[in-house]
Amino acid sequence: MSRLLLALLLILPAAFAGEARLLQWSELIPEGAPPPPPPTPLHDLSQLADALAAETGPAARQQSPAAPVVEALDGIVARLPGYIVPLEMDGEGRVIEFLLVPYFGACIHVPPPPSNQIVHATSELGVRVDQLYQPYWIEGPLTVEPTSSELAEAGYRMVAQTIELYELD
Amino acid sequence: MYLLRLALASLNNRRFTALLTVFAIALSVCLLLAVERVRSETRASFASTISGTDLIVGARSGSVNLLLYSVFRIGNATNNIRWDSYQQLAGHPQVKWAIPLSLGDSHRGYRVLGTSPAYFQHYRFGRQQPLQLAEGRAFADDPFEVVLGAEVAQSLGYRLDERIVLAHGVAKVSLVQHDDKPFRVVGILRRTGTPVDRTLHINLAGMEALHVDWRGGVPARGAGRVSAEQARALDLQPQQITAVLLGLNSRIATFALQREINQYRGEPLLAVLPGVALQELWSLMGTAEQALFVVSLFVVLTGLIGMLTAILTSLNERRREMAILRSVGARPWHIAGLLVIEAFALALAGAALGLTLLYVGIAVAQAPLQQLYGLYLPFGWPSGYEWRLLGAILLAAVLMGAVPAWRAYRQSLADGLSIRV
Repeated sequence: MSRLLLALLLILPAAFAGEARLLQWSELIPEGAPPPPPPTPLHDLSQLADALAAETGPAARQQSPAAPVVEALDGIVARLPGYIVPLEMDGEGRVIEFLLVPYFGACIHVPPPPSNQIVHATSELGVRVDQLYQPYWIEGPLTVEPTSSELAEAGYRMVAQTIELYELD
Repeated sequence: MYLLRLALASLNNRRFTALLTVFAIALSVCLLLAVERVRSETRASFASTISGTDLIVGARSGSVNLLLYSVFRIGNATNNIRWDSYQQLAGHPQVKWAIPLSLGDSHRGYRVLGTSPAYFQHYRFGRQQPLQLAEGRAFADDPFEVVLGAEVAQSLGYRLDERIVLAHGVAKVSLVQHDDKPFRVVGILRRTGTPVDRTLHINLAGMEALHVDWRGGVPARGAGRVSAEQARALDLQPQQITAVLLGLNSRIATFALQREINQYRGEPLLAVLPGVALQELWSLMGTAEQALFVVSLFVVLTGLIGMLTAILTSLNERRREMAILRSVGARPWHIAGLLVIEAFALALAGAALGLTLLYVGIAVAQAPLQQLYGLYLPFGWPSGYEWRLLGAILLAAVLMGAVPAWRAYRQSLADGLSIRV
């Protein structure tokens, strides 16, 4: 009985529908249809921004891209608290190169910190940063680059020898 | 020593229950280690995918989103950016190099990336490693040349000079093919263990040529079609790209340029620091990882409790065994030791079998995982952390073994040879 039903089920659709016609997507468009009009240029609305440009001030720039630095600090071993902004990581996800900044996260309200408020640090061992808003102490020899040259840019650089959590007391 | 022999012999006598217990522990250990392995390897492979890039620039969306679609080829771009924005960025005094990226097409499930020769020159992965060609060369001026990632070439069996057809959209099976414009394989990259392996690289001009005769979202028909030969003669200057990777002269200037790009007046752009975006991604995934870890810990605990139950229920049956041991001179602490050793042996066998299962699992799942998710699980020795987890499991087993040991100790003091059950 069940076999008969199955056979019926198999035969019925074929009997009613006949052979299905294989369609290509392009066949859905009539033969003589006029081609769609040429597309309007992309991002045309963005011209609006140019039109308004005269009314708004320029984008906030870093106030002093090559801010003056204290050259007397060159060569000292320094200990500095700050937030780690990761730049490079090793294979295990430890941060081995980072920028140390005095604040983190609220940067969109004010222009970015001047270059003398950023320390570009490298660390041989690396540090596992779990939360970006966790401050750290870093300690190591500080080098000061007074002017940008072919080899290095102006600013503070540190080889971090110890990195530890900044505890609130 | 004889205690160990006795314990093993006793276990052997009850091998069916013992085997089941070992198997339960093995499964739970395998689950715990697998969760840990996948977690650490995902992080490692994500962290080693991009290096040396200071900023990723794309249409305004979210930092994690931009990172995922531009670098990991996960998900799709929200919008393209104008070519002249790219030119502005590339010409910025702080920018050392710029790599344009154009996405959206695929070839049998692998993404196609339109880019410039700067990609092969400046893109870095791992620890500042450059891309290297295993065979052939990078694409040159001809728009219809393609450089394959190692995995693409291997799994599809492509060789140099082969002609392949790219498809519109990013699905594995695409019903709309760019079959009138085949590409010639001119180079195959060395394996990197990153999404680069699963990408086909073509010139920006090639990407433009593919779509040059599309009108209003459909390929041109009849006379409107542009053949590959005709396309070569056209001006294939792209009008838009998907994202840009930037390398700066000074990493200290990163924030300043990021700010400048985010406030770019030409069009809404978003610039993210790859390291920061990765960190954000991880803190998103962190919760799920923790949950998985806790679940697998509980599974291990269940396995160990199963073992405890098995030993405890056997205690009553074995009172005579214990009594005989006592009568031949075993002290009560021998009996207790016997049971602790038994628990330890079960857990050790479970851990060993669990490790074996893990490696068998890796062997089986390695290829599909890499193909489907781009996650490479290496066969490495267990890491220090994994050894510590295993040690903790064994310690927990010994502690649990102390419960039946204590009961057996008490019973063997009280019971004589004739047991009143």
